[in-house]
Amino acid sequence: MSGKPPSPRQDPYAKYGGYDNVQRIYRECIESTKPVPSGNRGVLKPKLKGFHHLDIAYSKMVTATPALILDWLYETYDRVRDQINQWAMDLFPRYPKIWGPKEKDSVIVGRTTYASREDLGTPLHHMRVEIWARTWWLSWRRLAKGFSDHDGNFRLKYDLRTARSVAVRKIRAEVSQKYYRYSKTGQLSPCYCIALAIPIPKSDLVGMQYNLRDIQIDIWSYRPDSPIPRVKIDDLQDEAPEKYVEGRDDAITDQFIPVELIKLRHVVQLRAHPDSLTIDQIQRDYPPNLTTCLEKRLPGYTRSDMFFGERMMNGMHALTFQPFANAQTKRKAEHYQDVDPDHLYHVVNWGYQGYDHNDIYAFPTTEMVFEIQPGDFVPRPLSITFTGALSAFDRDPYQERTFFPTDGKKWMQAKRVARCVGGLISEVDDHFARTHVNVEQYAIAAFRNLRLNPIASLLLPHLKEVSLVDHTADRLLISQEFGYLPRASALTEKGLHQRVRDTLGMLNWKDYEPMRVVNDHHHYAKAETLFWKITEQYIEEFMGENAAGIRMHWAEIYRMSQDLVTHSVPDFNHHHHLHGLEGHDKEVKARCMSYFEHRFEHKTHTHREHHDGECRALSPITRQANFADLDDQAKTEDWENLKELCCYAIHHATFLHSWVNEHQHDDIGEVLYCSLGIRFGEHPDGVLRPESDHKIALDPLRATQMLWWSNLLSRTEYGAITKNPDGDVNPRFGELLQEHAEEFERYGISVDNIESRTNI
Amino acid sequence: MSHTEHSTLIRETMADWIRNAWDYSLMWVTCKVFGLAVAIFASLMIKRRMSHDNGIAATGTVRILDNPNIPLHRFFLPDRTFPCRIRHATATFLDDAVKGIRSMSIKFSDHHLESPFDLQMNTGEKSLFWSAASFLQFARMRKQQYGVQYREYYRKYPDGLDGAIEAIRENPKSFSDLRYYAKTPFRFVGEDFIPRYAKYRVIPGEPKTEETGKLKNPDPREIPNQRVAAHNPRGRNYLKYEYRDRVKKGPVHYLLQIQLRNAATDDKPEIFNNMLPWNEDLYPWHDLAEIEITETLNWNESCRTTFSLTHMPESLGIIPARSIFDYNSLNYMRAQSAVAHKARLLNYRLFGYPPEIPDNDNRNWSDWEKPPRILNRTYLVQKKN
Repeated sequence: MSGKPPSPRQDPYAKYGGYDNVQRIYRECIESTKPVPSGNRGVLKPKLKGFHHLDIAYSKMVTATPALILDWLYETYDRVRDQINQWAMDLFPRYPKIWGPKEKDSVIVGRTTYASREDLGTPLHHMRVEIWARTWWLSWRRLAKGFSDHDGNFRLKYDLRTARSVAVRKIRAEVSQKYYRYSKTGQLSPCYCIALAIPIPKSDLVGMQYNLRDIQIDIWSYRPDSPIPRVKIDDLQDEAPEKYVEGRDDAITDQFIPVELIKLRHVVQLRAHPDSLTIDQIQRDYPPNLTTCLEKRLPGYTRSDMFFGERMMNGMHALTFQPFANAQTKRKAEHYQDVDPDHLYHVVNWGYQGYDHNDIYAFPTTEMVFEIQPGDFVPRPLSITFTGALSAFDRDPYQERTFFPTDGKKWMQAKRVARCVGGLISEVDDHFARTHVNVEQYAIAAFRNLRLNPIASLLLPHLKEVSLVDHTADRLLISQEFGYLPRASALTEKGLHQRVRDTLGMLNWKDYEPMRVVNDHHHYAKAETLFWKITEQYIEEFMGENAAGIRMHWAEIYRMSQDLVTHSVPDFNHHHHLHGLEGHDKEVKARCMSYFEHRFEHKTHTHREHHDGECRALSPITRQANFADLDDQAKTEDWENLKELCCYAIHHATFLHSWVNEHQHDDIGEVLYCSLGIRFGEHPDGVLRPESDHKIALDPLRATQMLWWSNLLSRTEYGAITKNPDGDVNPRFGELLQEHAEEFERYGISVDNIESRTNI
Repeated sequence: MSHTEHSTLIRETMADWIRNAWDYSLMWVTCKVFGLAVAIFASLMIKRRMSHDNGIAATGTVRILDNPNIPLHRFFLPDRTFPCRIRHATATFLDDAVKGIRSMSIKFSDHHLESPFDLQMNTGEKSLFWSAASFLQFARMRKQQYGVQYREYYRKYPDGLDGAIEAIRENPKSFSDLRYYAKTPFRFVGEDFIPRYAKYRVIPGEPKTEETGKLKNPDPREIPNQRVAAHNPRGRNYLKYEYRDRVKKGPVHYLLQIQLRNAATDDKPEIFNNMLPWNEDLYPWHDLAEIEITETLNWNESCRTTFSLTHMPESLGIIPARSIFDYNSLNYMRAQSAVAHKARLLNYRLFGYPPEIPDNDNRNWSDWEKPPRILNRTYLVQKKN
């Protein structure tokens, strides 16, 4: 939504029919470019074989009629099999009764541990273990049940005579993970997912103790080959620690197949005839986005300063504006004499300096100065300064060029470059690093440790599936060979990894605060603050209601904290990283760190712990496994820490991810307006060329892939908090959001679009 | 009691009766078949005992002590003296230097088989198995190779491993300084006709004698490895030689002790569990008899000397078992091995005795070397120059 023009200057909206007209058209475009489910169902409709079968070139789709018929037959077989299994479960239910007399005479012992080489022998605590017997007439008899303790050990008492009964055909031990579901009435109930089933030879049970020994379960292990905390997934199909819910894949099928078919057609055509498609043709083939819609109805508006300021403040970029007085910049306030110094704001978007990059795309560090007046006013860009190469003819990484609104066409071109730089930064720093990989580290620690603690029911619904998406993103987005970014932007795979690591080094749950609201038009910051407060209230209520349970299973919190700290990346602090650097290198590094520090409002004074001789990015939640062992002050602090961490994790997995994801289609859905990469081209002016010079735009193949990307990320929504399709999110959270729906609506957000997790 | 409750009770009683009958039948068949299998495949075909082939027998006397703490029993009358035979052995391996369980069996007569009272005991207060079913598992999972055995058994049954750690003796100085326990309790009905349960053990005649060979800081993973250590200078027969020399020098004395507890109808089955020693504070050991060994027997006589749990007065016999999982089924199964004893003695009579264990370097063996031809396995043993 556009804000009012900065007064008292000449009304810049006048040439677009006035402020109200722009606002109306803006809203209409937002509405008209919302995704509409394609209703792509039917036997002979093309099918996508799951989210992880997507590819920037040829996704695994079934399109040929015979294959579709075979696929339908297989699905029918699958459904029939599932139905038969369901009938079998109904016919032979597993009653909770434990068979045998009350006094059990024998014991099955064992220990649940992680299976991976790196975690060998590490206990897997609080897993549910059950012993089930199956009779000759297929009914189930539960012989014993229990949970593994803190060290993974379990002792299940059972009745030997019942186990060795002639009626029993076979016996097995089942190890399950505990999850939670909310009923329609809001009642929380546990549910279990079998992680491993081990047959026990009936003849082996002869009384006393029977030792199942170490039961190794391959779940939620850290990747040994990654410097950042990632989940080890050898095979996404069969060996992942979790799976997408069915609805996730259905949503992709419903919403994305038309877009996938467009991209597929383009790719096939461009492979055969590389020059047969122009960027304009490609753009037309895709559904319109916000900028193409606006440009069609208000020509020139999307390239205007107002729209630039609007998107930088409330778009996908959502920049962190820093008061000019506090900024570390060579520019002086005197350069902007006609502007009140208190209204000057400074923003840096750090480019390629210090990161591995290629020589095809420009990615200069961009400093922007805005005038932001108090009240409902959009930021007005005053200058854009690029540091680094802008053309293939001069690759000096330290060269600086500054542009002002008075520079005419060059100003327009500079804004385009700034948008492209901002787009890539939003994609890598804000989207991938901050809301995907950052959330994944909380997901691993939570899934590895939270089982009996009520916090599991609070956190896990918001942290699920992110590891799966990130695994797919490694190939689809990051990989040098198959990924999109290394081939369509300045950063190589190595550079992306470096950047993600540095970003994570600046992110910490402790002392996090939502973005500061700069003025009344700062809708992003207002929405973020509102969501943060709602999340705080929700967590406050939840932890109040479940205080006893949380304290009882505090050891899980302690272990989660340990996992978080020990696996987090080193803190990206000044002292350590500047050590040994001199001259330009030191200056570049210092500025780079300054960028991250301001971008993510990194707080250097926050307490962190050392591990393996390095200060870690994440702070510990608690230092005691037993809540009762904490002194009074620590009890209060650690309790608040837990609240803060939960709030941070949920906030990032839901609101922040939804925001940056939702706005991708708006901001990078038009190739010539903004793309993730902008080529140096063949002209001495390099990237400072008009949009008509397609030599600096993405080539047609990357262009269609980028539009495919933006549609994929923004147009395949599933799992809103308020809709709660999987029934795992506490309905109270949805209720609180609904109570503030109108306020969110004022900031351009529909609460029904805030997803409960990072799943795309 | 309502009609419904009455019919439920009848139904449950019937079901219980059927289950008990089934359990008993299964135990009877299992133990008989097992005894027969041992008779055919071990005793008759390869002259083997179940496990304790490597032993030395000796004779002497046993004198019942006048101990007022022990209820009067007509068999254990004070000052009653019996001629006796004992047999010390090392379980499983034909090598005294292995890490293994040592045994002592007592026969209250100087006959190789017949006797009014026999006892079979092993080192350690706990056993490696606790019922007929667990013994069958134990036998099935031996899987001996090069002196390593029961690896799978110990992995599956931690109690068996605990028992092994408790019972195995490594390089004991003598058979005579060890303590031997009959772990599964027996019946004891004295002259007062109060039913009791009894456990027996034998300790050295001088109780303060230090027991040698106990494992110090045992590594559970190493328990299956019973091999003779490479640096171990002890020979294959060192314990037998030591015992023979010791007896030659003078009589060897032992003390037979008894532990008693009153039987009650609501006794938990666990009191029969040979893995759970009785609390010595509540059920102290009482000196029952003195044993004096004066002469060792030769190899053939040692082989012939056979012990059986059926050789007991009725009032001191084994406690009835109800199923193969019953802790008392272990003694029940042992009692069914009479047929195996007879088969082995028949084999000796027809085809001769097994060869004496040579003092060679074939260590960690558990089968006879140069066995007699008929129905016996043969082994290729290189001739020494």
